[in-house]
Amino acid sequence: MLRHRLVTVLTFNDGTLFRTKLFQPDYRYTHNFVDSWQVDEIVMLDVTRNGGDNRTFLDVVGKFARECFVPLAVGGGIRTLADVRRFMAVGGDKVVVNSGAVERPGLITEIAEAYGAQCVVLSIDARKMPSGGYEVFAGCGSKATGLEPAGWAKRAEGLGAGEVLITSIERDGSLQGYDLELCKRVSDAVSVPVLVLGGAGSWKHFVEGIEKGGASAVCTQNIYHFTESSILSAKKFLADRGIAVRM
Amino acid sequence: MIGIVDYGLGNLTSVAGAVAKVGFGSIISADAKVLGKCDKLILPGVGAFGDGMKNLRDRGLVGPLTEYATKAGNPVLGICLGFQLLAKRSEEFGDHEGLGWIDAEVTAVEPGDPKLRVPHVGWNELYQCADCVLFDDVPDESLFYYVHSYALRPADRRIVMGECDYGGRLAAPVPSGSNFGTQFHPEKSQLHGLTLLKNFLAKS
Repeated sequence: MLRHRLVTVLTFNDGTLFRTKLFQPDYRYTHNFVDSWQVDEIVMLDVTRNGGDNRTFLDVVGKFARECFVPLAVGGGIRTLADVRRFMAVGGDKVVVNSGAVERPGLITEIAEAYGAQCVVLSIDARKMPSGGYEVFAGCGSKATGLEPAGWAKRAEGLGAGEVLITSIERDGSLQGYDLELCKRVSDAVSVPVLVLGGAGSWKHFVEGIEKGGASAVCTQNIYHFTESSILSAKKFLADRGIAVRM
Repeated sequence: MIGIVDYGLGNLTSVAGAVAKVGFGSIISADAKVLGKCDKLILPGVGAFGDGMKNLRDRGLVGPLTEYATKAGNPVLGICLGFQLLAKRSEEFGDHEGLGWIDAEVTAVEPGDPKLRVPHVGWNELYQCADCVLFDDVPDESLFYYVHSYALRPADRRIVMGECDYGGRLAAPVPSGSNFGTQFHPEKSQLHGLTLLKNFLAKS
């Protein structure tokens, strides 16, 4: 039986892990947990806002990938197939596209045709609007697009996206739980696996993301959760509630 | 020296990293002469079947690889798309001829349970159906990482050495003479994947 995945998302600014310990970047987290810990998959995202020079990030991904024996999805600023090639060349297994696909949806098809649909993760950052609906925001959550997340996910699936990562902008870092309604709308709209991110603060939220949100994988960015005992305890919590996970 | 076939698709760096991790040197190459001198080859690959075969043909690799694997009997491990390419044909985006080392066809993953999503992405058990050198020190029902929308269906299911269940049984590792293919990604399946890879490199 296919297991539900626990995915760690790591964000980098100019090659430095965004989360730090005592104000210092702490790479031990990224290097140590990969091999011996229980994480199922890792996403590395470059959120540097310096106009597109991602050499430092590529260098970090390359070093990281050499000791990463779980699937590694990488992204941040992907606009062209050449960008994808650079990420794959340093050890990515799949790529995450977001604003680049909003600007030019054909990018999804180009990547899917070259590397297969399973290589393309469409990342959607969405905000709940006063009207009660949701809107997709591009540019690290800064730019309104007029797109509705479920519709955009469905369209992207048709274009060749193999997975959808849905993130609630308001829930990011809130520890209040995923936006389940947002996740459900997206997971109902597509038949590809959906990964949910933004707001997980307890193991209970993982259960909700899977059972109520319809997610195939639950993600968290807060690396402080990922000590060896705690990720195991998260999985035990899920298993005790009848959710199939990899122990 | 282990040759990793570079045909323009796939996570070659990941495969090379896993080979290094289990203690073997590797070279990534698209040159038939270079690959021909290697002790064993890995045919990795993520991508579409038609592109995979076209890229192998464009690089002049179909004949030399077939000679290397089937006539000379050198071990080759196909991974994911590289596994499917060993089949006779695939229906992925049309009708494509494969390397034909395994009497099998590649067809879409269509789980019996409509709740199961495609692609089949994630960790799933490997049920071992036969003794195989690849399984040394790999417990039965270990979890491996899969990511695929198409699956290899052998004409004779008795050759299947292991299966996973995704709304129906899917062939996971299949041998063909001295060659093997795995639908899952050993290079991305942590300890058990590395053990299986090491078995291929050290014992096959």
